[in-house]
Amino acid sequence: MAAIETEGLQRSFGSRGRKLLAVDGIDLRVEPGEVYGFLGPNGAGKTTTVRMLVTLLRPTGGRATVAGFDVAHQSGEVRRRIGVALQEAALDLLMTGRELMELQATLHGIAPRQVRGRAAQLIERVGLEQAQDRRVSTYSGGMRRRLDLAMALIHEPEVLFLDEPTTGLDPVSRVTLWDEVRRLKDEGTTVFLTTQYLEEADQLADRVGIISGGRIVAEGTPAVLKAEVGVPHLDITLAAGSGDLETARRVLEPFGTDRPPAGGCHLSVFLERGAAQIAEVVRALDEAGFLVESLELIEPTLDDVFIAKTGRHLEGAEGVTAPALVP
Amino acid sequence: MRTGLARVSFALARRAARNTLRRPQFLAPLVLFPSLFLAVNVGGLHRTTALPGFPHVHGFLDFQLAGALTQSLLLGGIAQGLAAALEIEGGFFDRLAAAPIPRVAIVLGRLGAVALVALGQVLYFLALGLIFGAHIAGGFAGALVTIGLAVVAGVAFGALGITLALRARSASTLQGIFPLIFVILFLSSAFFPRSLLEAPVDTIAQYNPLSYIANGMRTPIVDAVRATPVLEGLAAAAGLAVFAIALAVVALRGRLREG
Amino acid sequence: MSERLRTIRALTRRALNEILRVPTGALPGVLAPTLFMLGLSAVFGRASHLPGFAHVDNFRTFIVPVGLLQGAGFTGAATGVNLARDIEGGWFDRLLVAPISRPTLLTGIVASASLRALLPATFLLVVAFALGVHWPGVGGLLIAYVLVMALAAAMACFAVAVALRFRTQQAAPLMQMGNFILTLFTTSYAPRALLAGWLQVISDINPVTHVLAGARQGFLGAVTWGATWPALASVGGLLVVFGGFALRGMQRVGVSE
Repeated sequence: MAAIETEGLQRSFGSRGRKLLAVDGIDLRVEPGEVYGFLGPNGAGKTTTVRMLVTLLRPTGGRATVAGFDVAHQSGEVRRRIGVALQEAALDLLMTGRELMELQATLHGIAPRQVRGRAAQLIERVGLEQAQDRRVSTYSGGMRRRLDLAMALIHEPEVLFLDEPTTGLDPVSRVTLWDEVRRLKDEGTTVFLTTQYLEEADQLADRVGIISGGRIVAEGTPAVLKAEVGVPHLDITLAAGSGDLETARRVLEPFGTDRPPAGGCHLSVFLERGAAQIAEVVRALDEAGFLVESLELIEPTLDDVFIAKTGRHLEGAEGVTAPALVP
Repeated sequence: MRTGLARVSFALARRAARNTLRRPQFLAPLVLFPSLFLAVNVGGLHRTTALPGFPHVHGFLDFQLAGALTQSLLLGGIAQGLAAALEIEGGFFDRLAAAPIPRVAIVLGRLGAVALVALGQVLYFLALGLIFGAHIAGGFAGALVTIGLAVVAGVAFGALGITLALRARSASTLQGIFPLIFVILFLSSAFFPRSLLEAPVDTIAQYNPLSYIANGMRTPIVDAVRATPVLEGLAAAAGLAVFAIALAVVALRGRLREG
Repeated sequence: MSERLRTIRALTRRALNEILRVPTGALPGVLAPTLFMLGLSAVFGRASHLPGFAHVDNFRTFIVPVGLLQGAGFTGAATGVNLARDIEGGWFDRLLVAPISRPTLLTGIVASASLRALLPATFLLVVAFALGVHWPGVGGLLIAYVLVMALAAAMACFAVAVALRFRTQQAAPLMQMGNFILTLFTTSYAPRALLAGWLQVISDINPVTHVLAGARQGFLGAVTWGATWPALASVGGLLVVFGGFALRGMQRVGVSE
């Protein structure tokens, strides 16, 4: 039995003439114990999909099951088995960390005798013991996310939904959260993670689904997806005044397809036959009278997969180290 | 199975009450404004008890207490709605909606807190009245009747506030509702006997449930626990409460459906 | 000097802009005094039958001037609430680092309140006259308008001082209560003789009682200098005192945070 399964999942907003199709027929299947990364730029439909899967939003088409139960018709059963940490930490600022955890425990039907203990356990797990009796309004962003995660875990859910869990967090908090996700996976929890950061998907996900415009445009393990794009690319910076960009592009044509976007003194090309071609590239440019200032060889990333499928960069993509590729 | 309705409602009521008390700067206007209005009305118009047609009362203050109380309860209801609207905007509402609880507990929890605050409000105004020389003609029993009616009315107004919160797009819409409270109250006999109101307000007041609620709370103070006005008040308050809670539940379903 | 005037004009225009851009936001403020007047006269109208009200045949005529002052006070309070919002939102910091002197800044903010107060006042008068309220004569009307604008400025200074002190929109009820107390704890509902003892004492001390008397004179009878100068002196005094608080608040921004 799949942990999450959807078939033609669809959600439209608006009425009559002005309908917006935020999610346009999503088919996916996540096995128990898997970490599935849902990767896409802002506005692609990630949050809408998650909200449908956690029963906060009704699908307008298709169907979805979570932990074996239908989200539309058996939503109560679904809610018992899922943990949810949404994009904005959903906390009550007037309460203390401990009060919130105990409330969450009560809401999830944990026996009254065990509420205190369970809450304390989770607070310790996310490292908030010092702050637990202070009001949440005094917590930093990173602390709020940690509390949010603890609240999602209090009833030991089968499936955990994390919607952009590290957006806006400092690097240290981000790494801490990644470690927590890995630990959850080791414990056998299924994790459905949405993110706009390709490095996050790359690092954490067993499989990645790339979503754009409400549809999945690519799906598979990160390694396989990158291998599909296949080849590394070479970022070249020409010395100023070397010559015009168009000519340089034509010189590079025999090596592989051009990679967008180029501008100023920068261009980029996929190397069909791999790193071995670097020397040839330099020679070709040299013979044509261009002076190369710097070169960088970059193995394919999920951003390349996204470009290959949609022709655009992933917004907020990290790990794009080539300088000034965006004019 | 879902977590039990009683257990969840109690936990959410406790939370809502705690939060309300943690924000005294929001509580104060609920009783302060009506108290000031009460003071001005009594100070300025206490001689009106001499007008022909004014029912026999110990003092104008005794008459006005119920009006101030009704006003305070209305403000409390809208304030609770405002808290609910902020909760929706802030995202905590989503967490409640995603929990395995009977969703109606979200409404019931808030209403529990409203009832508690209403109790505080009525005790405050009764105490205030006694301090400044009012008499409770109906005695201890009369006070109990007024208190009971006030709590039911408070719950009704709270349910209305929550309904507005669930249907409004934003919390600032609710803030704009506050001035309307004066309007509805002026269209009733909360502050002055119905027979002495100017036309056409006297006719409108006849159909305004607030008139009966205020009168039901007033009679035990100025007169005695008389069956007709008290029962009329109870019917108005309880009827409004049932209607308002039903509206709130429907609004809750609608909001959850549309996400 | 003209540079300062230009700044004041620009700030005033921005404040007026808010009304034009978000009319629904401004609507409650414009309607409130009228609704209050209508409500009060509908509920308590019979009070004018009491002996002692004898020279006024109409409760509504008696309380219209109260509505005028309420509108002024409400506008002033709203100015403070808007400032608190601007402080919270960071826009006020931007104004502070601009090369405008603090007194000029304050004048700009307060001047807009004076002008905006004309809206609820005029609306109230139009409705009142339509309902048969006694025409106060040009002199009486003029004095009323002057007092409205001056009181709005004074209350705006009060609200600004509160806003600068607490720096949060949650201080709004405090501003509105100050306004409420000042305008209503006067001879608002009834002539002095009919008021309860304690209210007589308060209204004697309250400077707004004189302002009310000045605004009311045209509506009740003749306009006399004897009733006018105490009104002007009182509102002038309020303006000086509250203006002082507001100015001091302005100068001290950033000094003790």
